[in-house]
Amino acid sequence: MITQHRIRRRMAATTPVLLALLLLAFVALTLAFGDRAAGRMASETLIRVTLVVGFWIFAGNSGVISFGHAAFACVGAYVSAWTTLNPAMKATLLPGLPPALAEAHWHVLPAALTAGLVAAALALGTGAAILRLSGIAASIATFAFLAMVNTIWANWTPVTGGTSSVVGLARYVTPWVALGWAVAAILAASLYAASASGLALRATREDEVAASASGIDQYRHRLLAYTLSAFFCGVGGALAGHFIGVINPDGFYLSLTFLMLAMLVVGGIGSLSGAVVGVLAVSLAVEALVRLEKGFTLGATTFALPPGSQEIIIALAMILVLVFRPAGLMAGREIMLPARWVTGRGTSQN
Amino acid sequence: MAKLGIHDLAVRYGKLTAISDLSFTVAEGERLFISGPNGAGKSSLLGAISGAVRAAHGRIEMDGDILSGLGPERIARRGLSMVPEGRRIFGGLTVRENLMVGTGIRRDRAAVADDLETAFTAFPILRDRANAPAGALSGGQQQMLAIARALMTNPKVMLVDEPSLGLAPKVVDEVYDRLCSLQALRGLTLVIVEQSSTRAARVGGRMILMRGGRIVADGDAAGFAAADLLSEAYFGDPA
Repeated sequence: MITQHRIRRRMAATTPVLLALLLLAFVALTLAFGDRAAGRMASETLIRVTLVVGFWIFAGNSGVISFGHAAFACVGAYVSAWTTLNPAMKATLLPGLPPALAEAHWHVLPAALTAGLVAAALALGTGAAILRLSGIAASIATFAFLAMVNTIWANWTPVTGGTSSVVGLARYVTPWVALGWAVAAILAASLYAASASGLALRATREDEVAASASGIDQYRHRLLAYTLSAFFCGVGGALAGHFIGVINPDGFYLSLTFLMLAMLVVGGIGSLSGAVVGVLAVSLAVEALVRLEKGFTLGATTFALPPGSQEIIIALAMILVLVFRPAGLMAGREIMLPARWVTGRGTSQN
Repeated sequence: MAKLGIHDLAVRYGKLTAISDLSFTVAEGERLFISGPNGAGKSSLLGAISGAVRAAHGRIEMDGDILSGLGPERIARRGLSMVPEGRRIFGGLTVRENLMVGTGIRRDRAAVADDLETAFTAFPILRDRANAPAGALSGGQQQMLAIARALMTNPKVMLVDEPSLGLAPKVVDEVYDRLCSLQALRGLTLVIVEQSSTRAARVGGRMILMRGGRIVADGDAAGFAAADLLSEAYFGDPA
């Protein structure tokens, strides 16, 4: 006999598979029926899935909103630029790089992994201080961290190029590359959520006092999730850089922070599926609005939304979701196969 | 040797003294009720023992090891578990997840499955609702869950803060029934904060009566109901 519990576990195991299939279908449909701009939108969306799913590993399980994750993307993007750019170019653009980095000319995959690892190491170091604070204080500290990283990056000109952009990153990020990383992030996120640490962290989200009375060391689990979370944001930042080919510190500052938060709120912070669905919903809405801003012709007249309406409408959408569906589109539920699909044939369902 | 020893304990919140010069011991397997009026320091006492509240002074020992100064999570790992006031279950997690949370600190993985079975046998309603969100349980069921959750850390000593709070008398009967049979089954040492001394007398055990942060009486719970000590503690002049 299959117990209820086994059925639940099998159902939960279908979530990452279904989410991966959803993204696969999204890429396949966009490439099959969309134009070039749609293909670019697909890559961009999947990079955001990596970023937001990474973000969710921490924010979703701990219930602590972080404003600092765009900083991990920033660090990741620059680490990948430092390690992959042509040394001749770095000599002129970034004269202050230490010799080891100045001469580095790595392949993009080890560079992306290193980007994630450096972001994770930074999270481990800063999180050790920030995550000892409770809820709202921790959130504000992450915001201060974001501001610090941005200021350092904007002013450390010999190493980061300052506010002027670093150009010439190899543009290797196709929708398929982005899909690979997005699926990797989803797998890692669902493994973490199913782990003992993930459960412990969700318990602290529900009630800190009761969790510590159950022997849970909140700080340790938060730090673990923060570090893992930063890894995928670092990778996401590297992908973003190699997608456009140009990076500058302000590309990883307030607007990215807002976008990541908006996506998580719209989809619902309570589940991994919410994070993925939120990215898809917001990205598709943004794409539609961008096209409307460019204008479309109907008969003899051309209609166009005033420029900037895209940001306003996304912000409005976020407010509407908060008002009418505060738990987000997925309301904390996961996409999973129904019980009768996972029990197998001829098994009773008691 | 006493299972649990409290020596010269004092707890202060700023200038306010909640507990002063409190000393008592609890024997292994004993059932001790802490009673007294509001503000007597009962919850502060449990908080200090479990590590949730920092003691201003004094020493708390379990099996001769000093607990005072450790955080609540480290004390839980030593085998002292707390069922907090107001139950404080993890409402957004399922009943089963609530139970599994406490097992994260354990190394004896095989025994965890046995304990889960024990919990489900003791509280069949939890088995029926295992996959439901804990927040959807009734008050009495949540109290059972809070007790079962504390048991999952495999404690030797369990502190229970006001298990009867906000529950119908019949449900309270049931909660105490289960609590007592689990105590017998596991050889637990129980320390229970209970406002109602008649309830404590009916369940049976030792009782400490507190007032103004001090112990005013200590003895068999059944004896208290008859004596005038209670009305003295609740209505008499402050000591």
